[in-house]
Amino acid sequence: MARLLNLVLKRVLLGIVTLVGLTIITFVLSHAGGPTLAVSTYINPRSPVPAAEQIKLLEQQFHLNDPLYIQYFYYMSGLLSGQWGYTDTTVFNGPVTTAIEYFLPNTIELSVLAIFIIITVGIRLGVFSASRQDGIADNVIRVLSFVGIALPAFWLALLLQETFASNVVSNWLDVLPLDGNVSRTLVINLPWYQEGISYPTHFLFIDALLHGDFAIAASNFLHLILPAFTIAMTSLAIIVRMMRSSTIDSLHQDYIKTVRMKGIPERKVIRYHAQRNAMIPTATVLGILFAFMLSGVAIVEYVFDYPGIGQWIVSAFLQDNIAGIMGANLVFGMILIASNITIDILYLFIDPRIKY
Amino acid sequence: MATVNLNSLISSPRMKSARLTLSILMRNPIGAAGFLIMLTYVAIALILQFAPFLLGISQPGIMVTNFSNPYPSPPSPAHPLGTTFPGIDVRTAIIKAIRIDVFSSLLVVGVGAAIGSVVGIYAGYHGKLIDQAVMRITDIFFSLPFLVLALAIGFTLGRALNDVLLALIIVWWPIYARLTRSQTLAIKNELYIKFSLISGNGSLKTIFKHIFPNTLTPVLIQMSVDLSNVILLIAGLYFIGFAAESPYLPELGSLISYGFPFVLTAWWTIVYPGIALLIFSLGMNMFGDGLRDALNPRYRT
Repeated sequence: MARLLNLVLKRVLLGIVTLVGLTIITFVLSHAGGPTLAVSTYINPRSPVPAAEQIKLLEQQFHLNDPLYIQYFYYMSGLLSGQWGYTDTTVFNGPVTTAIEYFLPNTIELSVLAIFIIITVGIRLGVFSASRQDGIADNVIRVLSFVGIALPAFWLALLLQETFASNVVSNWLDVLPLDGNVSRTLVINLPWYQEGISYPTHFLFIDALLHGDFAIAASNFLHLILPAFTIAMTSLAIIVRMMRSSTIDSLHQDYIKTVRMKGIPERKVIRYHAQRNAMIPTATVLGILFAFMLSGVAIVEYVFDYPGIGQWIVSAFLQDNIAGIMGANLVFGMILIASNITIDILYLFIDPRIKY
Repeated sequence: MATVNLNSLISSPRMKSARLTLSILMRNPIGAAGFLIMLTYVAIALILQFAPFLLGISQPGIMVTNFSNPYPSPPSPAHPLGTTFPGIDVRTAIIKAIRIDVFSSLLVVGVGAAIGSVVGIYAGYHGKLIDQAVMRITDIFFSLPFLVLALAIGFTLGRALNDVLLALIIVWWPIYARLTRSQTLAIKNELYIKFSLISGNGSLKTIFKHIFPNTLTPVLIQMSVDLSNVILLIAGLYFIGFAAESPYLPELGSLISYGFPFVLTAWWTIVYPGIALLIFSLGMNMFGDGLRDALNPRYRT
């Protein structure tokens, strides 16, 4: 137990070091344009004060004439006290922290469903494919997983929109909604849902259940299916391939022969003996797959017009809002660092041979 | 004289090894198909670079617009793959875009792999503090999704093609640094490395003669897969509108983005450029898969 605690502590400390490094990157990137670029968005063209005067005042106000390392400490103290700047984009207008508070729950909903798809479908399909090695089903799954890895996420998103829109392929496919996170007609005049934000938790699905409104929860879930599937696609295909090859490897081990000779049915051999060990190599890539998935989030949320962190960072990028981009970067960084720590710890439970 | 040189070149051990790799690769249908796809795309890119008239294309550097008839029109004899907004012929635009996409991903992966390998081998070989520092720096790069980091760097650099490529190179070297570092660590205490050092070879010569060739296999496999990843990332960045400074630059992602407003009415504006993208990406993955088998010592005997 003490060992486990030691490991957790070590990983968390490393995570904090990485996070500090990340703030250095965002700091450098937001200052690389020089002080004038940084204050350009704060200049008021209608003010009676001349622009040059305003720049001087702003430079003083934001300590832009101090040495860089001192500026970094101002930057850090701002970050730590919750002042992450202001974001002025078409999807949100206000403090960056508020934007994160509103958008992050939606992205988490989407990611949770995507992870669920990746793990359940991916592992099953991989093991199934391995159990029917070189059969028709196996070959079909192998080809599909090849294509799945190569598919551009945004293109898949567009194809799904075309497929599920009415009148394009056929009318009966018009069952899944194509954009947003809830049907707008359902949320008119709701006391707990205002301007696209639900209260109290901001997780629309949970809030709907809390208020007993199952129609909204169902609508929210339907809206999640297409984007979650798109985000999951690449990682799903990678997991299927890894699970297939590692299950085939473990099926050739001696202990599997022993289990088979004991007369245990093949279904149970695979389920309880081969699959368990095949999980170990797969678990090592979960962190990378999670990063892949989050990379897809930005672009897929943009295509599906889904109000999450990804859509926000894209609109911040298109509308030259530096605080929004850096804020979203820090959020993505924190999520990824935290998930990597979690995966490292989970790994201990999947593979009991590992001792730290 | 020239023929003698050529013969000795062909029969040199390194060329023999390369020919063996190629012959194993071509015996594997998946790897062979991937190799052919790569050759086709590179050939199209080269023809367009040096002799665009062979493909009947006059302005390879720009997508020719037609504002007198801007709305997408379905495939017809005049435009076999239809047109996209604003009046761009999809077929020629795809061919033009292949040049930019293929060369861009080759450049990003090539430069990224070179920088990463140098950093990784150096860190792995010298170890200690430098190794720790390099690992922490790559940790930072790996703590961000590629696309998000590329957005942040690209925002600071600018919106031209060069800026996109520079941003992607900055994002793409850490993978190779990690890869070559772990390879270097694995072999640097082997006897033949020690022997090379004892027999009077300097560190630099040892690295070039013994360590670098040993890191090459995983790097080559990673490069082939990354060609696919990078082309998808470039297309993705252009799709969300990275190219503000260069509209009508032929690029598959921005070509698809022109069709985005018409996604529900004009499928050909999206489907055809996407297929061109998918085939390249698929081909590179298949090539990487074949290469992994071909470079695997188990299959080489």
